[in-house]
Amino acid sequence: MKRIRLTINDQLYERDVNEHRTLLHVLREEIGLTGTKEGCGAGECGACTIIVDGLPLNSCLVLAVEADGTTIETVEGEARSGKLSPVQEAFDKHHAVQCGFCTPGMLMTIKDLLRRHPHPTREQIIEGIEGNFCRCTGYEQIIEAVLDATGQLEQKGAITHA
Amino acid sequence: MTHEFSYHAPGSIAEALALLAEHGDEAAVLSGGTDLLVNIRSGLSRPRHVVDIKRIPELKTLSYDRQSGLRIGACVTMNELLSYAPVTEWFAVLQAAGVELATYQLRNRATPVGNIVTASPCGDMSSPLLCLDAEVLVVSQNGSRQVPVREFITGVQTTALAPDELVQELIVPRTYAGAKAGYKKLKRIKGHDLGVVSVALITSNGTVRVGIGSAAPTPLLLPDFACGTPAEEIQAAAANAISPIDDVRCTKEYRAFMVGVFIGRLVEEVGA
Repeated sequence: MKRIRLTINDQLYERDVNEHRTLLHVLREEIGLTGTKEGCGAGECGACTIIVDGLPLNSCLVLAVEADGTTIETVEGEARSGKLSPVQEAFDKHHAVQCGFCTPGMLMTIKDLLRRHPHPTREQIIEGIEGNFCRCTGYEQIIEAVLDATGQLEQKGAITHA
Repeated sequence: MTHEFSYHAPGSIAEALALLAEHGDEAAVLSGGTDLLVNIRSGLSRPRHVVDIKRIPELKTLSYDRQSGLRIGACVTMNELLSYAPVTEWFAVLQAAGVELATYQLRNRATPVGNIVTASPCGDMSSPLLCLDAEVLVVSQNGSRQVPVREFITGVQTTALAPDELVQELIVPRTYAGAKAGYKKLKRIKGHDLGVVSVALITSNGTVRVGIGSAAPTPLLLPDFACGTPAEEIQAAAANAISPIDDVRCTKEYRAFMVGVFIGRLVEEVGA
């Protein structure tokens, strides 16, 4: 067991963790933040994407002990005081959520993408979410949501699904 | 992860080497973990000790100068390499192949050194580093040695690295700095995927160099060609050098065919 300190969504957590536990499992099972999902567990699907010290990572491939002292952003930090983030709102509006399993990882990947490219092109969005699988295949709605959230959706001819 | 191990986070190379000397085969070195943690999870790797080297400052070296060329420390991530100005300016082949290595999230953890140490025939950094005559700086308690990448990778996921040794960095000489380059990778899907087959081509000072991945037990470097060599001649040399196999991703015939196609395209696009 090792004691680790994590700052998650502006809150400090201290836990004694087994050294072989992944950060994903500690988040979900020991801290109780179950928003982040486990899909493949092998770095392929991106469902477990969180932001650690400013970098989006697959939390299934990080040991919790490695993350000692880091600052972490997860999907639970997105809505504040009951108000959705602009991207969450756009996901809702454009029906970018079907089963919802990929959504927490998508949202964190997109959060990082928008930090690097505040007005991403369609191509940058497609490339940006390359590491996040949506097995409902709702990619078009996700792309539209990101374009809308960044004020880039052409109203004419746009499908809003609303 | 069900397999249990002890975690060590040494703060110096000396400390890391002492751990490797003490635990030998039972220790595994962790940097990005994009191969190691997958292998532990699947049961392929069962180390009793995991030595995390990310707290060792010297292993974060990323430098470029006239004398020693490009030095890539063991803990430099793919994204750090790809955003390093001398790489974008002088090593087009690393840039072209690097963006093909996995996804953005994984590239925040995966390292060029790890890609070489894993020594998969489909490792995206292997054939570009072969083209550039890169060397591996290996250290142990008995000293250090510098091994060319072409000798370092000895087979499918096997290397010249002994259990008590650690890769400190990759050294890319300036010989081919500024070479024009291209990298072609056949994948099953448009997004990220392991390479079914890949070809790297660089051209510099009248020489054409071609590296090939996933077409033999190890990544291959063809003998040098003079600029202006017809694509057919390079394709014929490649056909002789490769020994592709059938596997879950592709047949050997398709692999051999696509090596030829990629060489043709690269000769045309890069201008050999």
